Amino acid sequence: MKPQLTLQTPLELPHQEISNYLNKLWIAEDKDNTGANTFTLMVWQPAWLEQCLVQKGLVNSPITGNLSPEIIEVAKKFILDAGLPITTSLYSEELLDLLKENLSNIDFEDFRGQFFESSISTLNPRRLVTLAPTLNENSDIKTFVSAYCPLSDSSALKPICGDLVVIRGGAASITHKGLKIIDELSIDELPSWLWWNGSLDESPDIFEYFTKHGLRLVIDTALGSPNRCLKVLDQLTKSNKAINDLNWVRLKNWRESLAMIFDPPSRRPILDHITDIDIDIVGDHIIQALFLISWISDKLGWSFLRVERDKESTKIKFERINGEKISTSINPLPLGNPSIHLGQVIGLRIISKISDVPKNNTCVILGCESVECMRLEAGGMANMQLIEQVVPNSFSSSEYDVSKLLGSSRGNTSPLFENAIKIALQIFNGFNNL
Amino acid sequence: MPSTLSNPLRLGLRQERVIAPQCLVIFGASGDLTHRKLIPALFELYLQRRIPSEFGIVGCARRPWTDNEFKEKMKVKLANKISGKEKEWQQFSNYLFYEPVDLQQSDHVLRLSKRLNEIDKTQATHGNRTFYLSVSPNFYASGCKALKAASLLDDPKKSRLVIEKPFGRDYSSAKKLNKIVQSCAQESQIYRIDHYLGKETVQNILVLRFANTIFEPIWNRNYISSVQITSSETVGVEDRAGYYESSGALRDMLQNHMTQMLAVTAMEPPGKFEPEAIRNEKAKVLQASKLADENKPWNCCIRGQYGEGGNTSNRLVGYRQEDGVYCNSTTETYIAAKVFVDNWRWQGVPFYLRTGKRLPKRLGEIVLTFKDVPVHLFESTIINPAPNQLVLRIQPNEGATFKFEVKSPGSGMKSRPVEMEFSYDESFGEPSDEGYVRLLADAMLSDPTLFTRSDEVEAAWKLYTPLIELMDNSPWKLPIHNYESMTWGPPESDQLLSKDNIFWRRP
Repeated sequence: MKPQLTLQTPLELPHQEISNYLNKLWIAEDKDNTGANTFTLMVWQPAWLEQCLVQKGLVNSPITGNLSPEIIEVAKKFILDAGLPITTSLYSEELLDLLKENLSNIDFEDFRGQFFESSISTLNPRRLVTLAPTLNENSDIKTFVSAYCPLSDSSALKPICGDLVVIRGGAASITHKGLKIIDELSIDELPSWLWWNGSLDESPDIFEYFTKHGLRLVIDTALGSPNRCLKVLDQLTKSNKAINDLNWVRLKNWRESLAMIFDPPSRRPILDHITDIDIDIVGDHIIQALFLISWISDKLGWSFLRVERDKESTKIKFERINGEKISTSINPLPLGNPSIHLGQVIGLRIISKISDVPKNNTCVILGCESVECMRLEAGGMANMQLIEQVVPNSFSSSEYDVSKLLGSSRGNTSPLFENAIKIALQIFNGFNNL
Repeated sequence: MPSTLSNPLRLGLRQERVIAPQCLVIFGASGDLTHRKLIPALFELYLQRRIPSEFGIVGCARRPWTDNEFKEKMKVKLANKISGKEKEWQQFSNYLFYEPVDLQQSDHVLRLSKRLNEIDKTQATHGNRTFYLSVSPNFYASGCKALKAASLLDDPKKSRLVIEKPFGRDYSSAKKLNKIVQSCAQESQIYRIDHYLGKETVQNILVLRFANTIFEPIWNRNYISSVQITSSETVGVEDRAGYYESSGALRDMLQNHMTQMLAVTAMEPPGKFEPEAIRNEKAKVLQASKLADENKPWNCCIRGQYGEGGNTSNRLVGYRQEDGVYCNSTTETYIAAKVFVDNWRWQGVPFYLRTGKRLPKRLGEIVLTFKDVPVHLFESTIINPAPNQLVLRIQPNEGATFKFEVKSPGSGMKSRPVEMEFSYDESFGEPSDEGYVRLLADAMLSDPTLFTRSDEVEAAWKLYTPLIELMDNSPWKLPIHNYESMTWGPPESDQLLSKDNIFWRRP
């Protein structure tokens, strides 16, 4: 799906006039039309990588906030040219620090907030507010406003329109001036969402501002240090804030595939005898793997016992209600062509033992590709009954995932995720006690 | 090994669509359908946590019940389903309201409108409403007009109208009814329900055909020699004689459920999985369908009526001896018809449809029989190699069976048929929802995919018009054949197929 551009060139207005202008906008156009009766979506859209590549002249196109294949390709080439390890993630601080060195002052266009995928636009957001921090932290705030009417192939009687606001500037000016108009921009009778499309490490003041304003949150715990991500989850959970996490959403294929294996009733007893679980991830960002193991342990009624860490893996012990122990291990693997998403699960192995005779036992392997399945079936696994499945890590865009959340969720934390967070936090606290 | 009852990893995994806050208004709330199907389906949706907290169910009928009386009556009728879930029922019953309404009385409908406004405030349902006409078909037109007059259907985004079958008695009455209903509400607001389309297995036909590469290339006249669609019931007319006497198997089953199964089986792939795209294809296939011999319909249709049967310990009376049935009734309890679909895909492939009461098994199935191989290289263990067959089982034991030839063990090279089996139970181990659960949720979600559009209904009636006219004008040309209860219909029905050298599958 290609991003859709607003038909109208956004109008630059002093930030003090935005609210007033928007109030008059609809009345002037059509007094019976007050815009879509849907929701407000606020987006924190730093797009640091794209900004750096454009300002360095490595990408010759406007900044849109979309992580296009061209940007990924150029960034990967830069990693190699700069002598960084091939396993370097596109979101690594090391890469960004390097990119920020010797930035040129070339002119470039910044279209952040004007592009959005049709999956989002067809939901007819009433208002899209984009916070677009610039690399120059001292730049003053600029605000733009535009109306938009998403093109639709359905035979709607008349277009359902909304408006968009872009608040662009250095983080400091956004904090001091930008946030002041956010309050005025929210429409009381409509739900408001915040999509924090950046690292949870950055701009904690702004993030905190939004969490305190009762917005429905969409975050991505693959972005940001694992400690900070878990702390954020901890705080949000304690304050009963609803959380939607794209890192959890991306686990959907794994949860579905694993559940699918145990749909036939004849296979369900395997679950009662699990002794070992191994999860392979890309890099060392363990949050997604923690979610996966926490979800499994929650569904199977296991209690967390303890966690141990060594150089190669994180080992977590659980206990079944009958006292049997389960050993699980999260194993970071360096990959030459790492996933864009940090800590992505690439393999899962479950061993279920009912006897000392290997052929009576079962090994379930899910791998993101055949090579990973082969890796996990080494070490005599084939002596057991082997159930294998490839779960390709092909992702929809973040915009698409967000649109699914906007379209189907009321913003509350999914009960499955809520339970998984609780156990992930138990494990996290176990880390701190090490 | 101890077995785990349900798949714990499956719990909570299904991403169900969210039903918006709204009021569901059921007209005919004192009737059978309400306590047999609708309220159980809504309770099931509640148990599945799919009912929003801002919700209301308003029962309407002429009886002067109060809210509490309605709740109590539903509780008694649903006792079996509530058992063990009393706490949940208690919470669910908070959504139940009742308003005495005679749809013929305009002041009653206005009073209902006021009540709904009050409920909107207490339940925060924002004027979003689904009206379910579970009343006698005679009242569909006047009911719609009454709702329109009370301005209850004015907002096409906030009001939906669900209409039960039968929609009309024939082509002209269906057309007339469509015209009236469409003058009261936009087509996008109208949900003509056919609960067969709510069945998981009927929907699975779409998935089987359009989510797999292997079936669609052979799903046509080049490979398929015939299609049989069967829906059989073991029960007789029970306490529905009043309705059934004026309806019969053609109007009760053939024109709607069976024909919808035909449409889903024979339709072209839609451009995308969207309501209008699917309904366009279904309508097209129905418009291309015709009786095998429209000029002499008696050549392609057999009617039957069940007589006595059963065994000495359980003697079953014949249809004409049932309570409420006219002693010389000529209502058919069994009908079989041969239909062609006149398009490129299906030209020349006969579709045999049969449905009846008091047949030996309760089942619904679609059987696609494939053409014979061009040359028989191998001797068969039976007389001739059996043709390949794909059997899609709608109910019970939902699933599919593919029948094909394999080498019979031994030193020779004889072939014999075997069956490859897919069973919902064995694969998923969980019962699928009742059709009404799915369809009620879809209507409240404003998703019309599984509801029949006006042109589909009209095309389905048009298909059987020659038969209906014959039954009305020269019934002796389409005689009622008697068949013994708990047998597979009258022998004449077998002859309908044997003329083509085909036999009904014995399920």
